Amino acid sequence: MVYTLLKKGLITVAEVKSKIKAVNEMLKNKEITCTELTQQYLKSIEDTNASLNAYVNVTGETALETAKAVDDKISRGEEISLLAGVPMTLKDNISTDGIETTCCSKILQGYKPIYNATVWNILKNKDAVLLGKTNMDEFAMGSSCETSVFGGAKNPHNINHVAGGSSGGVASAVGGNIAVYGLGSDTGGSIRQPASFCGIVGLKPTYGSVSRYGLIAYASSFDQIGPITTTVEDTAIVYDAISEYDVMDSTSQGNRGVKTCDTLKKDIKGMKIGIAKEYLEGIRDDVREAVLNACKVYESLGAEIVHFELSALKYALPVYYILACAEASSNLGRYDGIRYGYKTPVYKDVNDMVCRTRSEGFGSEVKRRIMLGTYVLSAGYYDAYYKKAQNLRGTIVREFKNAFEKADVILAPTVPMTAFEVGKAVSDPIETYLTDICTVPMNIAGLPAVSVPCGFNAKGMPIGMQLIGNTFDEATVLNAAWQFENATHDTMFRSAEMGVRL
Amino acid sequence: MVSHEDVIQIARLAKLSVSEEELDGLTKEMQSIIDFADAINNAPVDGEEFDNINNLSNAFREDTVVPSYPTEKILENASDSAEDCFLVKKRSL
Repeated sequence: MVYTLLKKGLITVAEVKSKIKAVNEMLKNKEITCTELTQQYLKSIEDTNASLNAYVNVTGETALETAKAVDDKISRGEEISLLAGVPMTLKDNISTDGIETTCCSKILQGYKPIYNATVWNILKNKDAVLLGKTNMDEFAMGSSCETSVFGGAKNPHNINHVAGGSSGGVASAVGGNIAVYGLGSDTGGSIRQPASFCGIVGLKPTYGSVSRYGLIAYASSFDQIGPITTTVEDTAIVYDAISEYDVMDSTSQGNRGVKTCDTLKKDIKGMKIGIAKEYLEGIRDDVREAVLNACKVYESLGAEIVHFELSALKYALPVYYILACAEASSNLGRYDGIRYGYKTPVYKDVNDMVCRTRSEGFGSEVKRRIMLGTYVLSAGYYDAYYKKAQNLRGTIVREFKNAFEKADVILAPTVPMTAFEVGKAVSDPIETYLTDICTVPMNIAGLPAVSVPCGFNAKGMPIGMQLIGNTFDEATVLNAAWQFENATHDTMFRSAEMGVRL
Repeated sequence: MVSHEDVIQIARLAKLSVSEEELDGLTKEMQSIIDFADAINNAPVDGEEFDNINNLSNAFREDTVVPSYPTEKILENASDSAEDCFLVKKRSL
Protein backbone atom coordinates (compact mmCIF):
# COMPACT_ATOMS: atom_id res chain seq x y z
CA MET A 1 0.00 0.00 0.00
CA VAL A 2 1.02 3.52 -0.69
CA TYR A 3 1.10 4.65 2.93
CA THR A 4 3.56 1.95 4.01
CA LEU A 5 5.88 2.86 1.17
CA LEU A 6 5.50 6.51 2.11
CA LYS A 7 6.33 5.73 5.71
CA LYS A 8 9.49 3.97 4.67
CA GLY A 9 10.38 6.92 2.49
CA LEU A 10 10.46 4.66 -0.56
CA ILE A 11 8.27 6.88 -2.67
CA THR A 12 7.48 10.54 -2.72
CA VAL A 13 4.22 11.76 -4.09
CA ALA A 14 3.86 15.09 -5.81
CA GLU A 15 1.48 17.39 -3.93
CA VAL A 16 -2.14 17.29 -5.00
CA LYS A 17 -2.73 20.21 -7.31
CA SER A 18 -5.53 22.62 -6.45
CA LYS A 19 -7.82 23.03 -9.47
CA ILE A 20 -8.59 26.64 -8.58
CA LYS A 21 -4.88 27.47 -8.43
CA ALA A 22 -4.32 25.64 -11.73
CA VAL A 23 -7.02 27.74 -13.44
CA ASN A 24 -5.63 30.92 -11.89
CA GLU A 25 -2.13 30.14 -13.19
CA MET A 26 -3.42 29.27 -16.67
CA LEU A 27 -5.25 32.58 -16.83
CA LYS A 28 -2.38 34.66 -15.44
CA ASN A 29 0.16 32.96 -17.74
CA LYS A 30 -2.20 33.58 -20.68
CA GLU A 31 -2.24 29.89 -21.62
CA ILE A 32 -5.97 30.26 -22.18
CA THR A 33 -8.39 33.17 -22.01
CA CYS A 34 -11.21 33.10 -19.52
CA THR A 35 -13.66 33.32 -22.41
CA GLU A 36 -12.18 30.20 -24.04
CA LEU A 37 -12.20 28.34 -20.74
CA THR A 38 -15.81 29.31 -20.04
CA GLN A 39 -16.81 28.26 -23.56
CA GLN A 40 -15.19 24.86 -22.96
CA TYR A 41 -17.23 24.40 -19.81
CA LEU A 42 -20.45 25.53 -21.49
CA LYS A 43 -19.79 23.12 -24.37
CA SER A 44 -19.18 20.27 -21.90
CA ILE A 45 -22.40 21.10 -20.10
CA GLU A 46 -24.21 20.95 -23.44
CA ASP A 47 -22.67 17.54 -24.12
CA THR A 48 -23.05 15.87 -20.72
CA ASN A 49 -25.93 17.53 -18.89
CA ALA A 50 -28.56 15.48 -20.69
CA SER A 51 -27.17 12.37 -18.98
CA LEU A 52 -26.08 13.90 -15.65
CA ASN A 53 -29.04 16.27 -15.12
CA ALA A 54 -26.74 18.33 -12.88
CA TYR A 55 -27.77 21.79 -14.10
CA VAL A 56 -31.37 22.96 -14.00
CA ASN A 57 -30.56 26.41 -15.39
CA VAL A 58 -27.45 27.26 -17.43
CA THR A 59 -26.49 30.94 -17.34
CA GLY A 60 -24.17 30.99 -20.34
CA GLU A 61 -24.66 34.61 -21.30
CA THR A 62 -23.79 36.09 -17.90
CA ALA A 63 -20.94 33.59 -17.55
CA LEU A 64 -19.39 34.85 -20.78
CA GLU A 65 -19.90 38.49 -19.75
CA THR A 66 -17.97 37.87 -16.53
CA ALA A 67 -15.32 35.93 -18.45
CA LYS A 68 -14.83 38.87 -20.79
CA ALA A 69 -14.47 41.27 -17.86
CA VAL A 70 -11.78 38.98 -16.41
CA ASP A 71 -9.99 38.83 -19.77
CA ASP A 72 -10.09 42.64 -19.96
CA LYS A 73 -8.55 42.91 -16.50
CA ILE A 74 -5.78 40.47 -17.44
CA SER A 75 -5.03 42.24 -20.70
CA ARG A 76 -4.83 45.58 -18.85
CA GLY A 77 -2.30 43.95 -16.54
CA GLU A 78 -4.52 44.24 -13.46
CA GLU A 79 -4.12 41.88 -10.54
CA ILE A 80 -6.91 39.25 -10.44
CA SER A 81 -8.15 37.38 -7.37
CA LEU A 82 -7.54 33.65 -6.97
CA LEU A 83 -11.20 32.93 -7.67
CA ALA A 84 -11.48 35.31 -10.62
CA GLY A 85 -12.56 33.63 -13.82
CA VAL A 86 -12.99 30.21 -12.20
CA PRO A 87 -16.14 28.54 -13.61
CA MET A 88 -18.44 27.42 -10.80
CA THR A 89 -22.03 26.66 -9.86
CA LEU A 90 -24.57 27.37 -7.11
CA LYS A 91 -27.24 25.06 -5.71
CA ASP A 92 -30.67 26.24 -6.77
CA ASN A 93 -31.64 27.36 -3.25
CA ILE A 94 -29.02 30.15 -3.18
CA SER A 95 -30.60 33.43 -4.28
CA THR A 96 -29.25 35.04 -7.43
CA ASP A 97 -30.56 38.47 -8.41
CA GLY A 98 -32.58 38.22 -11.63
CA ILE A 99 -31.71 34.53 -12.14
CA GLU A 100 -34.47 32.00 -11.51
CA THR A 101 -34.07 30.25 -8.13
CA THR A 102 -36.55 27.42 -7.69
CA CYS A 103 -35.35 25.06 -4.92
CA CYS A 104 -36.31 22.54 -7.62
CA SER A 105 -39.93 22.90 -6.55
CA LYS A 106 -43.01 23.58 -8.65
CA ILE A 107 -44.07 26.14 -6.04
CA LEU A 108 -41.08 28.37 -6.90
CA GLN A 109 -40.93 27.87 -10.66
CA GLY A 110 -40.41 31.21 -12.36
CA TYR A 111 -39.29 32.95 -9.13
CA LYS A 112 -36.48 35.45 -9.73
CA PRO A 113 -34.97 36.83 -6.53
CA ILE A 114 -34.44 40.60 -6.39
CA TYR A 115 -31.24 40.32 -4.37
CA ASN A 116 -28.15 38.13 -4.13
CA ALA A 117 -27.31 35.75 -1.32
CA THR A 118 -24.29 37.09 0.60
CA VAL A 119 -22.12 34.13 -0.48
CA TRP A 120 -22.89 34.87 -4.13
CA ASN A 121 -22.18 38.59 -3.62
CA ILE A 122 -18.78 37.70 -2.17
CA LEU A 123 -17.87 35.40 -5.06
CA LYS A 124 -19.35 37.69 -7.69
CA ASN A 125 -17.19 40.53 -6.38
CA LYS A 126 -14.21 38.23 -6.90
CA ASP A 127 -15.28 37.73 -10.55
CA ALA A 128 -16.41 34.12 -10.16
CA VAL A 129 -17.93 32.78 -13.39
CA LEU A 130 -21.39 31.37 -12.62
CA LEU A 131 -22.15 28.61 -15.15
CA GLY A 132 -25.62 28.00 -13.80
CA LYS A 133 -27.82 26.74 -11.00
CA THR A 134 -27.71 23.09 -10.04
CA ASN A 135 -30.20 20.39 -9.18
CA MET A 136 -31.27 19.45 -5.65
CA ASP A 137 -33.91 17.58 -3.72
CA GLU A 138 -36.99 19.80 -3.48
CA PHE A 139 -36.33 22.36 -0.71
CA ALA A 140 -33.22 20.30 0.16
CA MET A 141 -35.43 17.54 1.57
CA GLY A 142 -34.00 14.22 0.44
CA SER A 143 -30.90 12.09 0.19
CA SER A 144 -30.87 11.15 -3.49
CA CYS A 145 -31.72 14.39 -5.37
CA GLU A 146 -34.74 12.50 -6.72
CA THR A 147 -37.40 14.63 -5.01
CA SER A 148 -36.40 17.41 -7.45
CA VAL A 149 -39.24 18.51 -9.72
CA PHE A 150 -36.69 18.22 -12.55
CA GLY A 151 -35.79 14.58 -11.75
CA GLY A 152 -32.57 13.61 -9.94
CA ALA A 153 -28.93 14.33 -10.84
CA LYS A 154 -26.88 11.28 -11.81
CA ASN A 155 -23.57 10.04 -10.47
CA PRO A 156 -20.62 10.80 -12.80
CA HIS A 157 -18.98 7.48 -11.80
CA ASN A 158 -22.00 5.53 -13.02
CA ILE A 159 -25.13 7.23 -14.30
CA ASN A 160 -27.30 4.33 -13.17
CA HIS A 161 -26.61 5.54 -9.63
CA VAL A 162 -27.77 8.75 -7.96
CA ALA A 163 -25.47 11.67 -7.23
CA GLY A 164 -26.86 11.83 -3.68
CA GLY A 165 -28.63 14.67 -1.99
CA SER A 166 -29.72 17.06 -1.45
CA SER A 167 -26.92 19.05 -3.19
CA GLY A 168 -26.76 16.31 -5.86
CA GLY A 169 -26.51 18.71 -8.79
CA VAL A 170 -23.43 20.49 -7.42
CA ALA A 171 -21.69 17.16 -6.68
CA SER A 172 -22.64 15.76 -10.10
CA ALA A 173 -21.35 18.89 -11.88
CA VAL A 174 -18.09 19.07 -9.91
CA GLY A 175 -17.50 15.30 -10.06
CA GLY A 176 -18.37 15.30 -13.77
CA ASN A 177 -15.89 18.15 -14.43
CA ILE A 178 -18.55 20.55 -15.67
CA ALA A 179 -17.80 23.04 -12.87
CA VAL A 180 -14.53 23.62 -11.00
CA TYR A 181 -16.38 24.00 -7.70
CA GLY A 182 -19.82 24.75 -6.33
CA LEU A 183 -21.65 25.90 -3.25
CA GLY A 184 -24.23 23.64 -1.66
CA SER A 185 -26.15 23.73 1.60
CA ASP A 186 -26.11 21.14 4.37
CA THR A 187 -28.99 20.72 6.84
CA GLY A 188 -28.53 17.01 7.67
CA GLY A 189 -25.71 15.95 5.32
CA SER A 190 -26.69 17.56 2.02
CA ILE A 191 -23.14 18.67 1.13
CA ARG A 192 -21.18 15.74 2.57
CA GLN A 193 -23.38 12.86 1.39
CA PRO A 194 -23.40 13.75 -2.35
CA ALA A 195 -19.67 14.63 -2.16
CA SER A 196 -19.07 11.16 -0.71
CA PHE A 197 -21.26 9.45 -3.36
CA CYS A 198 -19.46 11.30 -6.19
CA GLY A 199 -15.92 10.75 -4.83
CA ILE A 200 -15.13 14.40 -4.13
CA VAL A 201 -14.70 16.81 -1.19
CA GLY A 202 -17.52 18.66 0.62
CA LEU A 203 -17.40 20.83 3.75
CA LYS A 204 -20.23 21.65 6.11
CA PRO A 205 -18.83 24.59 8.06
CA THR A 206 -19.53 25.44 11.71
CA TYR A 207 -23.03 26.82 12.28
CA GLY A 208 -22.60 30.59 12.09
CA SER A 209 -19.37 30.75 10.09
CA VAL A 210 -20.94 31.32 6.66
CA SER A 211 -23.79 33.78 6.14
CA ARG A 212 -27.13 32.22 5.14
CA TYR A 213 -28.61 35.50 3.95
CA GLY A 214 -30.32 34.62 0.68
CA LEU A 215 -30.29 30.87 1.29
CA ILE A 216 -33.90 29.72 1.00
CA ALA A 217 -34.59 28.31 4.45
CA TYR A 218 -35.32 24.67 5.25
CA ALA A 219 -34.43 24.32 8.95
CA SER A 220 -32.80 27.48 10.23
CA SER A 221 -31.00 26.07 13.28
CA PHE A 222 -29.28 23.44 11.07
CA ASP A 223 -28.73 25.02 7.60
CA GLN A 224 -25.18 25.93 6.54
CA ILE A 225 -23.70 26.81 3.14
CA GLY A 226 -20.39 25.23 2.14
CA PRO A 227 -18.13 24.29 -0.77
CA ILE A 228 -18.04 21.11 -2.88
CA THR A 229 -14.73 20.70 -4.74
CA THR A 230 -12.39 18.04 -6.15
CA THR A 231 -9.50 18.78 -3.77
CA VAL A 232 -9.18 19.70 -0.09
CA GLU A 233 -7.15 22.79 -0.94
CA ASP A 234 -9.96 24.08 -3.16
CA THR A 235 -12.39 23.59 -0.29
CA ALA A 236 -10.05 25.58 1.97
CA ILE A 237 -9.74 28.39 -0.61
CA VAL A 238 -13.50 28.70 -1.10
CA TYR A 239 -14.28 28.37 2.62
CA ASP A 240 -11.77 31.10 3.47
CA ALA A 241 -13.42 33.35 0.88
CA ILE A 242 -17.04 32.88 2.00
CA SER A 243 -16.68 32.69 5.80
CA GLU A 244 -17.16 36.36 6.53
CA TYR A 245 -19.24 38.08 9.20
CA ASP A 246 -22.43 39.41 7.65
CA VAL A 247 -24.72 42.00 9.19
CA MET A 248 -27.63 40.48 7.27
CA ASP A 249 -27.56 37.16 9.17
CA SER A 250 -28.11 37.39 12.93
CA THR A 251 -26.34 34.02 13.47
CA SER A 252 -23.28 35.14 11.52
CA GLN A 253 -19.89 34.98 13.22
CA GLY A 254 -17.45 34.66 10.32
CA ASN A 255 -14.37 32.46 10.64
CA ARG A 256 -13.11 34.23 13.78
CA GLY A 257 -9.99 35.41 12.03
CA VAL A 258 -8.52 32.04 11.10
CA LYS A 259 -7.62 31.29 7.48
CA THR A 260 -7.61 27.54 6.87
CA CYS A 261 -5.17 27.86 3.96
CA ASP A 262 -2.43 29.07 6.35
CA THR A 263 -2.22 25.74 8.23
CA LEU A 264 -3.54 23.37 5.58
CA LYS A 265 -0.29 21.51 4.93
CA LYS A 266 1.00 21.48 8.49
CA ASP A 267 2.49 18.27 9.91
CA ILE A 268 -0.09 16.23 11.87
CA LYS A 269 2.35 14.31 14.08
CA GLY A 270 0.72 13.86 17.47
CA MET A 271 -2.74 14.91 16.27
CA LYS A 272 -5.38 12.94 18.17
CA ILE A 273 -7.94 11.35 15.87
CA GLY A 274 -11.03 10.01 17.61
CA ILE A 275 -13.07 6.98 16.61
CA ALA A 276 -16.51 6.58 18.16
CA LYS A 277 -17.66 2.97 18.48
CA GLU A 278 -21.22 3.88 17.46
CA TYR A 279 -20.03 5.20 14.13
CA LEU A 280 -18.71 1.80 13.04
CA GLU A 281 -21.89 -0.08 13.86
CA GLY A 282 -24.55 -0.80 11.25
CA ILE A 283 -22.48 0.30 8.28
CA ARG A 284 -21.59 -1.78 5.26
CA ASP A 285 -18.39 -3.86 5.45
CA ASP A 286 -16.67 -2.12 2.54
CA VAL A 287 -17.31 1.28 4.14
CA ARG A 288 -16.04 0.11 7.55
CA GLU A 289 -12.93 -1.36 5.96
CA ALA A 290 -12.19 1.90 4.13
CA VAL A 291 -12.54 3.91 7.35
CA LEU A 292 -10.31 1.51 9.30
CA ASN A 293 -7.78 1.71 6.50
CA ALA A 294 -7.84 5.50 6.86
CA CYS A 295 -6.92 5.06 10.55
CA LYS A 296 -3.81 3.19 9.44
CA VAL A 297 -2.92 5.98 7.02
CA TYR A 298 -3.22 8.48 9.87
CA GLU A 299 -1.06 6.35 12.13
CA SER A 300 1.58 6.23 9.41
CA LEU A 301 1.44 10.02 9.29
CA GLY A 302 2.18 10.18 13.01
CA ALA A 303 -1.33 10.79 14.32
CA GLU A 304 -2.64 8.98 17.36
CA ILE A 305 -5.97 7.10 17.22
CA VAL A 306 -8.13 7.40 20.34
CA HIS A 307 -11.32 5.41 20.94
CA PHE A 308 -14.45 6.49 22.80
CA GLU A 309 -18.21 6.18 22.86
CA LEU A 310 -20.87 8.66 21.83
CA SER A 311 -23.90 6.87 23.22
CA ALA A 312 -26.43 9.65 22.51
CA LEU A 313 -25.84 9.19 18.78
CA LYS A 314 -28.57 6.55 18.70
CA TYR A 315 -31.12 9.34 19.19
CA ALA A 316 -29.62 11.63 16.56
CA LEU A 317 -31.84 10.64 13.63
CA PRO A 318 -35.26 11.04 15.28
CA VAL A 319 -34.03 14.21 17.03
CA TYR A 320 -32.96 15.61 13.67
CA TYR A 321 -36.16 14.72 11.84
CA ILE A 322 -38.39 16.05 14.63
CA LEU A 323 -36.59 19.39 14.95
CA ALA A 324 -35.79 19.95 11.26
CA CYS A 325 -39.37 19.17 10.21
CA ALA A 326 -40.76 21.42 12.95
CA GLU A 327 -38.62 24.28 11.66
CA ALA A 328 -39.51 23.45 8.06
CA SER A 329 -43.24 23.51 8.79
CA SER A 330 -42.80 27.07 10.04
CA ASN A 331 -40.32 28.22 7.34
CA LEU A 332 -42.41 26.87 4.48
CA GLY A 333 -45.52 28.61 5.79
CA ARG A 334 -44.57 31.58 3.58
CA TYR A 335 -45.57 29.83 0.33
CA ASP A 336 -49.13 30.94 -0.16
CA GLY A 337 -49.27 31.86 -3.86
CA ILE A 338 -49.60 35.57 -3.12
CA ARG A 339 -46.15 37.18 -3.16
CA TYR A 340 -44.14 34.81 -5.36
CA GLY A 341 -44.21 31.45 -7.05
CA TYR A 342 -47.01 29.18 -8.17
CA LYS A 343 -50.68 30.01 -7.52
CA THR A 344 -53.55 27.61 -8.13
CA PRO A 345 -55.83 28.75 -10.98
CA VAL A 346 -59.16 27.64 -9.48
CA TYR A 347 -60.37 28.21 -5.91
CA LYS A 348 -63.49 28.96 -3.85
CA ASP A 349 -62.08 31.35 -1.25
CA VAL A 350 -58.76 32.62 0.06
CA ASN A 351 -58.15 29.72 2.45
CA ASP A 352 -58.94 27.27 -0.33
CA MET A 353 -56.51 29.14 -2.60
CA VAL A 354 -53.66 28.81 -0.10
CA CYS A 355 -54.36 25.11 0.59
CA ARG A 356 -54.67 24.21 -3.09
CA THR A 357 -51.58 26.24 -4.03
CA ARG A 358 -49.51 24.42 -1.41
CA SER A 359 -50.90 20.96 -2.16
CA GLU A 360 -50.34 21.35 -5.89
CA GLY A 361 -47.02 23.21 -5.55
CA PHE A 362 -45.17 21.03 -3.02
CA GLY A 363 -44.00 17.49 -3.78
CA SER A 364 -44.86 14.53 -1.54
CA GLU A 365 -41.62 14.50 0.54
CA VAL A 366 -41.99 18.20 1.36
CA LYS A 367 -45.63 17.72 2.35
CA ARG A 368 -44.67 14.71 4.48
CA ARG A 369 -42.10 16.78 6.40
CA ILE A 370 -44.46 19.75 6.81
CA MET A 371 -47.09 17.36 8.20
CA LEU A 372 -44.61 15.74 10.64
CA GLY A 373 -43.37 19.17 11.73
CA THR A 374 -46.90 20.42 12.27
CA TYR A 375 -47.73 17.27 14.25
CA VAL A 376 -44.78 17.54 16.66
CA LEU A 377 -45.54 21.21 17.29
CA SER A 378 -49.28 20.76 17.81
CA ALA A 379 -51.03 20.88 21.16
CA GLY A 380 -50.78 17.56 22.98
CA TYR A 381 -47.63 16.39 21.19
CA TYR A 382 -45.27 19.34 21.71
CA ASP A 383 -43.79 18.10 25.01
CA ALA A 384 -43.42 14.46 23.93
CA TYR A 385 -41.67 15.24 20.67
CA TYR A 386 -40.42 18.79 20.14
CA LYS A 387 -39.43 19.58 23.71
CA LYS A 388 -37.94 16.13 24.29
CA ALA A 389 -35.94 16.36 21.06
CA GLN A 390 -34.62 19.81 22.04
CA ASN A 391 -33.48 18.37 25.35
CA LEU A 392 -31.72 15.48 23.59
CA ARG A 393 -30.10 17.97 21.24
CA GLY A 394 -28.45 19.45 24.32
CA THR A 395 -27.26 15.98 25.37
CA ILE A 396 -25.69 15.36 21.96
CA VAL A 397 -24.00 18.78 21.98
CA ARG A 398 -22.46 18.06 25.40
CA GLU A 399 -21.32 14.58 24.37
CA PHE A 400 -19.39 16.03 21.44
CA LYS A 401 -17.96 18.73 23.66
CA ASN A 402 -16.56 16.05 25.97
CA ALA A 403 -15.25 14.06 23.00
CA PHE A 404 -13.20 17.05 21.86
CA GLU A 405 -11.39 16.99 25.18
CA LYS A 406 -9.97 13.62 24.10
CA ALA A 407 -9.53 14.15 20.36
CA ASP A 408 -8.62 16.97 17.96
CA VAL A 409 -10.82 15.58 15.18
CA ILE A 410 -13.25 12.67 14.93
CA LEU A 411 -13.09 10.26 12.00
CA ALA A 412 -16.33 8.63 10.81
CA PRO A 413 -17.93 7.29 7.67
CA THR A 414 -19.93 9.90 5.73
CA VAL A 415 -22.68 7.50 4.65
CA PRO A 416 -23.16 3.88 5.79
CA MET A 417 -23.19 2.82 2.12
CA THR A 418 -22.26 3.92 -1.41
CA ALA A 419 -24.51 5.66 -3.97
CA PHE A 420 -27.89 3.95 -4.41
CA GLU A 421 -29.17 2.87 -7.77
CA VAL A 422 -31.51 5.31 -9.46
CA GLY A 423 -35.09 4.97 -8.16
CA LYS A 424 -34.20 2.93 -5.03
CA ALA A 425 -34.45 5.79 -2.52
CA VAL A 426 -37.95 6.96 -3.34
CA SER A 427 -39.74 3.75 -2.42
CA ASP A 428 -39.42 3.90 1.38
CA PRO A 429 -39.05 7.27 3.16
CA ILE A 430 -37.93 5.82 6.52
CA GLU A 431 -35.26 3.63 4.88
CA THR A 432 -33.99 6.74 3.15
CA TYR A 433 -33.95 8.75 6.40
CA LEU A 434 -31.67 6.06 7.90
CA THR A 435 -28.94 6.84 5.37
CA ASP A 436 -28.41 10.22 7.10
CA ILE A 437 -27.34 8.54 10.35
CA CYS A 438 -23.66 9.55 10.12
CA THR A 439 -24.14 13.13 8.94
CA VAL A 440 -27.03 14.58 11.03
CA PRO A 441 -25.17 14.65 14.38
CA MET A 442 -22.89 17.45 13.13
CA ASN A 443 -25.86 19.61 12.16
CA ILE A 444 -27.47 18.91 15.53
CA ALA A 445 -24.27 20.04 17.27
CA GLY A 446 -23.37 22.78 14.76
CA LEU A 447 -19.90 21.29 14.20
CA PRO A 448 -17.72 21.53 11.08
CA ALA A 449 -17.21 18.32 9.07
CA VAL A 450 -15.61 17.58 5.73
CA SER A 451 -16.18 14.52 3.58
CA VAL A 452 -13.17 13.23 1.63
CA PRO A 453 -12.83 10.19 -0.64
CA CYS A 454 -11.34 7.13 1.14
CA GLY A 455 -11.84 4.23 -1.25
CA PHE A 456 -14.09 2.41 -3.71
CA ASN A 457 -16.44 -0.54 -3.40
CA ALA A 458 -16.22 -3.64 -5.59
CA LYS A 459 -18.33 -1.95 -8.27
CA GLY A 460 -16.03 1.08 -8.38
CA MET A 461 -18.40 3.43 -6.57
CA PRO A 462 -16.66 5.94 -4.27
CA ILE A 463 -16.64 5.68 -0.46
CA GLY A 464 -16.29 8.81 1.67
CA MET A 465 -15.26 9.54 5.24
CA GLN A 466 -15.85 12.54 7.46
CA LEU A 467 -13.42 14.47 9.58
CA ILE A 468 -15.36 16.27 12.27
CA GLY A 469 -13.95 19.17 14.24
CA ASN A 470 -14.73 21.27 17.25
CA THR A 471 -16.68 24.49 16.83
CA PHE A 472 -14.96 26.96 14.44
CA ASP A 473 -12.02 24.57 14.04
CA GLU A 474 -12.24 24.18 10.26
CA ALA A 475 -8.46 24.72 10.16
CA THR A 476 -7.71 21.44 11.99
CA VAL A 477 -10.38 19.53 10.05
CA LEU A 478 -9.01 20.64 6.69
CA ASN A 479 -5.39 20.13 7.79
CA ALA A 480 -6.19 16.50 8.68
CA ALA A 481 -8.15 16.08 5.44
CA TRP A 482 -5.34 17.53 3.31
CA GLN A 483 -2.73 15.24 4.86
CA PHE A 484 -4.88 12.19 4.16
CA GLU A 485 -5.61 13.32 0.61
CA ASN A 486 -1.96 14.02 -0.04
CA ALA A 487 -0.92 10.59 1.18
CA THR A 488 -3.58 8.67 -0.72
CA HIS A 489 -4.70 10.80 -3.66
CA ASP A 490 -3.44 8.42 -6.34
CA THR A 491 -5.46 5.51 -5.00
CA MET A 492 -8.48 7.26 -3.48
CA PHE A 493 -9.31 9.78 -6.17
CA ARG A 494 -10.46 9.00 -9.68
CA SER A 495 -11.58 11.75 -11.97
CA ALA A 496 -14.69 10.79 -13.98
CA GLU A 497 -14.04 10.39 -17.71
CA MET A 498 -16.10 13.36 -18.79
CA GLY A 499 -16.26 17.13 -18.86
CA VAL A 500 -13.31 19.52 -18.98
CA ARG A 501 -10.06 17.78 -18.02
CA LEU A 502 -7.69 20.49 -16.83
CA MET B 1 -52.39 5.58 16.81
CA VAL B 2 -52.71 8.20 14.12
CA SER B 3 -56.35 8.46 12.99
CA HIS B 4 -57.95 9.90 9.87
CA GLU B 5 -59.18 12.78 12.03
CA ASP B 6 -55.61 13.49 13.19
CA VAL B 7 -54.39 13.69 9.60
CA ILE B 8 -57.26 16.00 8.60
CA GLN B 9 -56.53 18.23 11.61
CA ILE B 10 -52.77 18.37 10.88
CA ALA B 11 -53.42 19.12 7.22
CA ARG B 12 -55.79 21.92 8.25
CA LEU B 13 -53.09 23.43 10.51
CA ALA B 14 -50.45 23.04 7.77
CA LYS B 15 -52.77 24.54 5.14
CA LEU B 16 -52.65 21.51 2.87
CA SER B 17 -55.67 19.94 1.24
CA VAL B 18 -56.06 16.17 1.58
CA SER B 19 -58.47 14.32 -0.68
CA GLU B 20 -60.54 11.31 0.45
CA GLU B 21 -58.41 9.02 -1.75
CA GLU B 22 -55.13 10.22 -0.17
CA LEU B 23 -56.35 9.85 3.41
CA ASP B 24 -55.66 6.14 3.96
CA GLY B 25 -52.16 6.23 2.50
CA LEU B 26 -51.25 9.42 4.32
CA THR B 27 -52.48 8.08 7.68
CA LYS B 28 -50.31 4.95 7.31
CA GLU B 29 -47.33 7.04 6.28
CA MET B 30 -47.76 9.42 9.23
CA GLN B 31 -48.02 6.41 11.56
CA SER B 32 -44.72 4.97 10.33
CA ILE B 33 -42.95 8.32 10.69
CA ILE B 34 -44.37 8.82 14.19
CA ASP B 35 -43.22 5.28 15.13
CA PHE B 36 -39.75 6.26 13.95
CA ALA B 37 -39.86 9.47 16.02
CA ASP B 38 -41.04 7.46 19.05
CA ALA B 39 -37.49 6.10 19.38
CA ILE B 40 -36.79 9.07 21.64
CA ASN B 41 -39.57 8.15 24.10
CA ASN B 42 -37.31 6.06 26.31
CA ALA B 43 -34.29 8.34 26.10
CA PRO B 44 -33.16 9.66 29.48
CA VAL B 45 -33.78 13.37 30.00
CA ASP B 46 -30.92 15.05 31.79
CA GLY B 47 -32.86 18.05 32.92
CA GLU B 48 -30.57 20.61 31.32
CA GLU B 49 -32.45 22.83 28.89
CA PHE B 50 -30.93 23.29 25.50
CA ASP B 51 -31.00 26.91 24.50
CA ASN B 52 -28.65 27.42 21.59
CA ILE B 53 -25.93 25.85 19.47
CA ASN B 54 -22.27 26.76 19.98
CA ASN B 55 -23.23 29.32 22.66
CA LEU B 56 -24.03 31.74 19.88
CA SER B 57 -25.86 34.87 20.71
CA ASN B 58 -27.71 37.00 18.22
CA ALA B 59 -25.38 39.22 16.23
CA PHE B 60 -27.20 42.53 16.45
CA ARG B 61 -26.37 45.49 14.26
CA GLU B 62 -27.09 49.18 14.49
CA ASP B 63 -30.62 49.97 13.39
CA THR B 64 -29.68 52.31 10.58
CA VAL B 65 -32.09 53.42 7.90
CA VAL B 66 -31.18 52.08 4.45
CA PRO B 67 -33.19 52.30 1.25
CA SER B 68 -35.58 49.39 0.71
CA TYR B 69 -36.31 47.60 -2.55
CA PRO B 70 -38.53 49.45 -5.02
CA THR B 71 -42.18 48.37 -4.81
CA GLU B 72 -42.36 47.47 -8.49
CA LYS B 73 -39.35 45.13 -8.09
CA ILE B 74 -41.00 43.35 -5.18
CA LEU B 75 -44.27 43.00 -7.10
CA GLU B 76 -42.53 41.46 -10.13
CA ASN B 77 -42.82 38.01 -8.57
CA ALA B 78 -46.45 38.39 -7.43
CA SER B 79 -49.10 36.34 -9.21
CA ASP B 80 -51.35 39.41 -9.25
CA SER B 81 -50.96 43.04 -8.19
CA ALA B 82 -52.81 46.33 -8.37
CA GLU B 83 -52.06 49.87 -7.17
CA ASP B 84 -48.69 48.95 -5.61
CA CYS B 85 -50.28 46.10 -3.63
CA PHE B 86 -50.40 42.30 -3.80
CA LEU B 87 -53.81 41.46 -5.18
CA VAL B 88 -55.79 38.51 -3.85
CA LYS B 89 -59.16 37.94 -5.46
CA LYS B 90 -61.79 36.57 -3.11
CA ARG B 91 -62.53 33.73 -5.50
CA SER B 92 -61.37 32.75 -8.96
CA LEU B 93 -64.78 31.74 -10.24
